[in-house]
Amino acid sequence: MAELSDKDIVKKIKKGEINYYSYIVKKYTTLIYQYIKRKLFKKEETDDLVQNVFISFYKALEKFDEEKPIKPYLFQIVQNELKMYYRSKKQTIQLNEDIYLVHDRGIDIIDDSYLNYLNKDEKKVFQQINEGYSYEEIAKLINKPLNTIKSIVRRGRLKLKKIY
Amino acid sequence: MKKLEEKIIKKIYRMETKKTFGQIMAETILIVIISLSSVFMFSVIVEILNEQASFDLFDFLRDDFETIRFNFLNNSLLFIQELPLPLTYILVGLLLLLIWLLFILIMNFNKIKNKLVSIYKFWFK
Repeated sequence: MAELSDKDIVKKIKKGEINYYSYIVKKYTTLIYQYIKRKLFKKEETDDLVQNVFISFYKALEKFDEEKPIKPYLFQIVQNELKMYYRSKKQTIQLNEDIYLVHDRGIDIIDDSYLNYLNKDEKKVFQQINEGYSYEEIAKLINKPLNTIKSIVRRGRLKLKKIY
Repeated sequence: MKKLEEKIIKKIYRMETKKTFGQIMAETILIVIISLSSVFMFSVIVEILNEQASFDLFDFLRDDFETIRFNFLNNSLLFIQELPLPLTYILVGLLLLLIWLLFILIMNFNKIKNKLVSIYKFWFK
């Protein structure tokens, strides 16, 4: 089986011999796994992403041109999966500030006691975040530019990270 | 790493099994439905033509060759005119659809067969 090239394998899979897909999986899993692991560090999420990459590639095989090499195509899928992953993570952070802090530090700081460590502006902004306001809404409420709000939040977080 | 590879392959097979059987079921159901509809439509058309006594237009076929040659075109055109056109169009449409589906099935026959063999080997061997 070793003499079969990627091109032959893709041709066979396109003809319905899906058992040949295991050769592609065996050939590229380690490479893709290590690449993703270097970016994510988390084993479970890396496993999920590697699985998604191979499933996406399998779905795309029907339209895949067998004359083209597999590796760049696979890495393009990896890039897309990573982008989607980062995007999903980003959304989680923005949606719930408390959860982010709890997960990040492993300390329960949902109660308002942490506000005592912040200055007046930071306190105000964090209170409004707790009430569910978005950064844009807070900027309008306290009549300050959006970037200032973001800076206040970043400074406040750094302060809290040092304390907790 | 081996465990992950096995997990990926298993997922692929699970997905492909669902897809292939779904496809086979859908195509079979569609072919059966279209075939039955075609038979039904054909019987209705024949019934209508019988009631109109349109088949009598072909009685000349029992005569000699000269009579057949003389009447064939004329009577055939008359017969076509007596056909219930909307039903005939539906029947032709159904038959074309059936031919197209069978053509796709024949074209993909090898692919489906190979997939089924791979699926069988994976799950049962």
